[in-house]
Amino acid sequence: MAKRMDKSFSKSLAQFDRQFFTGREKFTLIGRGALGGKAHGLAVMQDILEQQLSGQFAPDIQVVIPTLTVITTDFFDFFMKDNRLYDIALSEAHDDLIAQAFQKAELPAPLVGDLRALISQVHTPLAVRSSSMLEDAMFEPFASVYATKMIPNNQWDADTRFRKLAEAVKYIYASTFFKDARNYMRATKHTTADEKMAVIIQEVVGARYGDRFYPHVSGVARSHNFYPLGHAKPGQGVVDLALGLGKSIVDDGVGWTFSPAYPQANPPYISIRDLLEQSQTSFWAINMGPPGEYNPIQETEYMLKFNLTDAERDGSLRFIASTYRPEDDKIVFGMAEPGPRIIDFAPLLKFDLIPLNSMLRALLKICEDKLERMVEIEFAMTLDERRGTPARFGFLQVRPMVVSEAKVDVSPAELVGGHVLVASESVLGNGILDDIQDIVYVKPEKFSPHQTQTIAGQLEELNQKLAASHVPYLLIGFGRWGSTDPLGGIPVNFGQICGAKAIVESTLPEMNFMLSQGTHFFHNITSFRVLYFSVPHWEKYMIDWPWLGRQRAVAETELVRHVKLPAPLKIKVDGTTSRGVICHA
Amino acid sequence: MSNKPFNSFELAQSQFDRMADRLGLDDPARELLRWPMRETQFLIPVRRDDGPVKIFRGFRVLHNDARGPGKGGVRFHPQETIDTIRALAMWMTWKCALMDIPLGGSHGGVVCDPHNLSLREQEQLCRGWVRQLSRDLGPRIDVPAPEIMTNAQYMLWMLDEFEAIQGERIPGFITGKPVGMGGSLGRLEAAGFGLVFVLREALKELGIPPEKTSASVQGFGNVGQFATRLFQQIGGKVVCVACWDQKEGTSYSYKKESGVDFQSLAGITDRFGGIDKKKAAALGYDVLPGSAWLEQDVDILIPAAIENQITMDNVKKIPPKVKIVAEGANGPMTSEAEAVMAGRNIFLIPDILANAGGVTCSYFEQVQSSMNYYWEKDEVLGKLDVKMTTAFHSVLELAKEKGLSTRDAAFYIAIARVVQACRDRGWI
Repeated sequence: MAKRMDKSFSKSLAQFDRQFFTGREKFTLIGRGALGGKAHGLAVMQDILEQQLSGQFAPDIQVVIPTLTVITTDFFDFFMKDNRLYDIALSEAHDDLIAQAFQKAELPAPLVGDLRALISQVHTPLAVRSSSMLEDAMFEPFASVYATKMIPNNQWDADTRFRKLAEAVKYIYASTFFKDARNYMRATKHTTADEKMAVIIQEVVGARYGDRFYPHVSGVARSHNFYPLGHAKPGQGVVDLALGLGKSIVDDGVGWTFSPAYPQANPPYISIRDLLEQSQTSFWAINMGPPGEYNPIQETEYMLKFNLTDAERDGSLRFIASTYRPEDDKIVFGMAEPGPRIIDFAPLLKFDLIPLNSMLRALLKICEDKLERMVEIEFAMTLDERRGTPARFGFLQVRPMVVSEAKVDVSPAELVGGHVLVASESVLGNGILDDIQDIVYVKPEKFSPHQTQTIAGQLEELNQKLAASHVPYLLIGFGRWGSTDPLGGIPVNFGQICGAKAIVESTLPEMNFMLSQGTHFFHNITSFRVLYFSVPHWEKYMIDWPWLGRQRAVAETELVRHVKLPAPLKIKVDGTTSRGVICHA
Repeated sequence: MSNKPFNSFELAQSQFDRMADRLGLDDPARELLRWPMRETQFLIPVRRDDGPVKIFRGFRVLHNDARGPGKGGVRFHPQETIDTIRALAMWMTWKCALMDIPLGGSHGGVVCDPHNLSLREQEQLCRGWVRQLSRDLGPRIDVPAPEIMTNAQYMLWMLDEFEAIQGERIPGFITGKPVGMGGSLGRLEAAGFGLVFVLREALKELGIPPEKTSASVQGFGNVGQFATRLFQQIGGKVVCVACWDQKEGTSYSYKKESGVDFQSLAGITDRFGGIDKKKAAALGYDVLPGSAWLEQDVDILIPAAIENQITMDNVKKIPPKVKIVAEGANGPMTSEAEAVMAGRNIFLIPDILANAGGVTCSYFEQVQSSMNYYWEKDEVLGKLDVKMTTAFHSVLELAKEKGLSTRDAAFYIAIARVVQACRDRGWI
């Protein structure tokens, strides 16, 4: 169905006429193949946004899909075939080797003229994004599986700009075959050989400040919230906002989280200091200055992290920051006073300076109605500092959220008892699993925050074996899964643990960890319907470590243990109460 | 039917005269541009492998260099004449001007058949040609390039001889060199790919999707081969390819209704573009007379061999389905035949536009050689596409604006640019 829609869209969209910003059409195609999932999603929403949303929020907010052209999948086919790349692509070669081989290959001749023409007239940053076919055929999200490359595109000569664009396109093609993607494919029972990639070349929504280019606000909005806070309900959704590029939210898991139903409510925090620590202290931007190390096979080649004082100097915090007043340990809205800034988007959310929240609610509703399922959207915004022009809201992506429909009841009484291995009242997901006999866990007695990187490597090895033989397993570890800070948890990416069908994150008494509650892998977890248990040691429910220690190990290192049970576990999660339990026979 | 032998230079002059009238050029401008600015005719003695010395006749003609150093091919062909060379030099002037590259027009050649020469004899001929012309060639004077029956190896021999005479390395002396020896990536494909870039634009203009078109190609040398390859990549189907059979001294057309397979056909083709007849038949191709390529029921005809192939003798055999003729060769059609085709509303992509990819990429090669810094193929072909597409649209726009044929519009633009350069220099 989705595939058929894709083809019909391909035919109805205009071909790129070599006028990127000045052409009549802002959404064009290069080629006659398929659009891939991401581009398809945008094509579906294009007219709807214009008809249903643009007028409603004008003149305060201008809602647009940033100008883009899509290199359709037929060019991917030519590229792979003409350069004979399938041998290395489908090998188990390291990502860098694959990326290098793709960089050496030649783009198809019918494509390069269009890229050259595009680059000759565009001097502003471009986002080069993946848009894969399987994503579309499955109508399932492939969040963060494939690469996106941002290029500054501000070099004085067109030759250099062309080369950088060509490198970025080749990098996106190569990412189809990177290890994360291969692992993901295994988990979804697909093969990378089935995959085809379209590439989106898109204007970056943002503003330039010296050597930095970034949006004032980027965000991810979901129409369903697995962690409803306070009075909020799961169906009211959840939004994460951040200053700068969306990488802060998607990869670093940092941002300001709120329910669209209660935009004025702060996220949970123990103290003001805690809130300050949790909130964003740095942001990602495209480097418009002297280039860093030449590395076309690195996704962040042209991205740099800056701190809030840089943003304040740029004058870009005016509508998104408040100030911490240490003398009375309070947060004062706005930036009238000097002091540490906190990115809480108060002027937008608490004072409704721009009707962003209303617009997001309307947008989520429109997307849900159109896709007929719960959705996740990504966006970026610029705010005009002089308020002379409307805020510009760039709609970047819509994808469906995968949510289990099963109705599961877990009563409080079920959380205790001799057969309970793990219980929690803070569980992500919904459903029942009764086919898991394998448990991979980090040994509590050996765990040290200084060894998390070693643990990550050992877990990856076990995951590869289990995923290759399609054996689902329960994974138990400490700290924040997917933490970028090795001292804060085990720094894995989702591909390294993708065979786990249930994940437990826990703490030990001597640790002072905040748990991630699945935020690092939020979308992957929901996509794969992974059940995610948070079991901090200070809560009343514990993990039955002694029972676990008595089980037969099939593989063991100093830090990690893999046990195989004689009978499957019974894992139940009630998504409406966030209550879940794992019982052994 | 005309009994008068075809003369390329007369055709080139008549094309110029027509445009000179249209542009209202004064006499000095006409006189300057109707004729080459410089001609060199000379003899090259070569000792044959079996002992005796054979004398070959060589030429170099510089038509005009007001816009930059001369640029043009070197053709080794038994039927070479000074008039053919003059015509080719003049067309090269217009071609460079139309593509808006800073070069003038020239051409050269040797009357010979390389098929009948050993490698050593071919080398001696190349070196002898350069020795005779060393004062009139050079990156800032006149830059040769390969043409019919000459190739990258010839260019390297010529470069080596020139550098030996000059006593220094001058990679910008010649283009069409092998890659890695001062040649440009993409140079080999440039003429054929360039043709398809403008053909693609013509199809857009006519509103015909490439995947719904078929083509017949005359000539399977560089232009024909790479045009076939890229045309198929953009979705079109080539059903017939014609080429010269050296052994039999005649030409054949090779037809496959389902579409020729570029790879397998290229695999049985010699370095001069001759397809092995027996092997082609074994691969399932219908072997037809050489003239059959023109009579195929296709949408597009690509004459990519030599001059004077579509004439009043055969123009009426072109089937009604044909909508586009893209001239891969120089002067493949007589004026009379062109008039017939215009009456049938066949869209013509004139030679100075359709086959300008070669010289445009030669220019890129010269730039790279002068810098001694070489570009990736993506970069070369990207630039080529933009140049070709821009030129196509300027021709189309002018043709529509002034009600000209596409050929006249191309000449109009080119001649106006050259005249302007001559005026700016104070020559006229």
